[in-house]
Amino acid sequence: MSEQDKKENIEVWEDLVNIKDLALGLAICSVTSLGGYLVAPEGQQPLIFGLIGAVLGFMISTIMIQPKRNFTYIDEE
Amino acid sequence: MDIVLIVQMVIVAILGAGLYTIIGIAPGTDETAVLAPVTLVLVISGLEPILILTFFIAAIVAKKLTDSIPVAVAGIPGGVMSAPMVDHAMVLKKHGKPDVSIRKMASGSVIGTIISIPLSLLLATALVPLADVIEQYSSQVFFFGAIFLALMTKNRWFAVLSIVPFAFIIQGLRHAYWELGIVPEDTTVFTSFFLGITIGPVILKLFELLNGRIRRNQPRYGTKEIAMRKSKPEKGFPNPFKILDKNETISSAVSSVFGVLTFFMSPVGMTIFLGEMIASKIKDPVKRAARAISSMDGLTNAAYLAGTLVPLIAIGYPLSPTALGPGHALFNAPPVFTYEHNLHHILSMNEFVVATLIGAVIAISITFFIMIKYAQPICAFVFRRIPHEAMLGLFFGLVLMLAYMDAGVLNIAGVLVIGLVAGFLHRRGVNYGVQFMTLYAAPWLVGLIF
Repeated sequence: MSEQDKKENIEVWEDLVNIKDLALGLAICSVTSLGGYLVAPEGQQPLIFGLIGAVLGFMISTIMIQPKRNFTYIDEE
Repeated sequence: MDIVLIVQMVIVAILGAGLYTIIGIAPGTDETAVLAPVTLVLVISGLEPILILTFFIAAIVAKKLTDSIPVAVAGIPGGVMSAPMVDHAMVLKKHGKPDVSIRKMASGSVIGTIISIPLSLLLATALVPLADVIEQYSSQVFFFGAIFLALMTKNRWFAVLSIVPFAFIIQGLRHAYWELGIVPEDTTVFTSFFLGITIGPVILKLFELLNGRIRRNQPRYGTKEIAMRKSKPEKGFPNPFKILDKNETISSAVSSVFGVLTFFMSPVGMTIFLGEMIASKIKDPVKRAARAISSMDGLTNAAYLAGTLVPLIAIGYPLSPTALGPGHALFNAPPVFTYEHNLHHILSMNEFVVATLIGAVIAISITFFIMIKYAQPICAFVFRRIPHEAMLGLFFGLVLMLAYMDAGVLNIAGVLVIGLVAGFLHRRGVNYGVQFMTLYAAPWLVGLIF
């Protein structure tokens, strides 16, 4: 948490991101999506493989990157 | 229509509603950016046309239902369309009633959906005779549409002047691809350019971050603080007509009718205009806010459904901001759909009705129910677990892949160029509508000058 308090995040598309994490997320998803498309075996629908890659990349990034939001519940009085 | 197909329709509707219930909650998800790529991929993958329409309708209804959640609980718009509601939702939030916001907005959405489906079908039937004329002059219609939309923007002369140069960039790239033999002469690269425009603002921002000076000058933030008051879970099955009072029901219904009739206009503009008009007469701030958000949500939902269904059924050309944006793949997604062969030509009126009804009914029953009951835990999950970086990565990855699919490695560069220019124009107030219309009119426009 203390690392986040240093005010390192910037706003892209209406929400906060850390530049390093953003680069990581973009890299992971680009590699998995394009990679999935390229490794698709001959005669198969490469698009499907690309899509699976995209979803996989999304899941990996979700696990590796912390959201830059601090969410709390306020108890009803 | 056989039972297997209906079962399949129900399944894709459930998938669409489920997926976009989650996406809708995530902040900053622009409707075009999240709906267009997925629909496109489904079309290109060769899914049955009627299933695509069912999926799309379910997705859009679910998305429009849920994107009001972040507005209500955090004042963050869940999409462009919910931005006008932020002020009113903040009033309710200030009075400690974010859950009231959610319920009122969702109920407004339901009324918008119920009204817009039959009305859109009627309006589409009435407009069918116009279809032949429009089909003949479609490029001209798009060109004048671009000028018209440009004149409606704030920075109007800049927008008007941007049309021809932007068309040149688009055609220039296409000619370069033909010249280099990357794509055959009779293939027009379209899909990836479309996506380039969609994701343009993000691409521009990412490129700017590569510049050290700009990067250091970016405003810095800590983490985003989001606090939510815990509310009691709703009991029983929610009924939208009980959640809204009589006046709210009537004004939601009236604004939904307007939303359908003005399907060719910018839904955001109409929402602001009508919402403020309806609400301005009420003195009590809480009541005014409740009336405004329920009517606005009714209108956006109606405008979105009508904007998709009317052009699709009547004309077969995307002549509304919704059809140009999120619904675009239903009209043109080569090689599967083209203007000569898309859902307009493939589906019969009955099929349109069945697909729309199944999509909408399933999305409403699943999403409305879940939303009223579990709005809070869902928000908490998305805010806590889904990093914004992963969402940006997902869309960026999809665009790269589709660019490669369209015309190889060089097209990745081409799409980046389109994205940079589109992002710049977007930042200067040239909205998606103008840019998409230009994309359509580009071959004709450039052919006209040479």
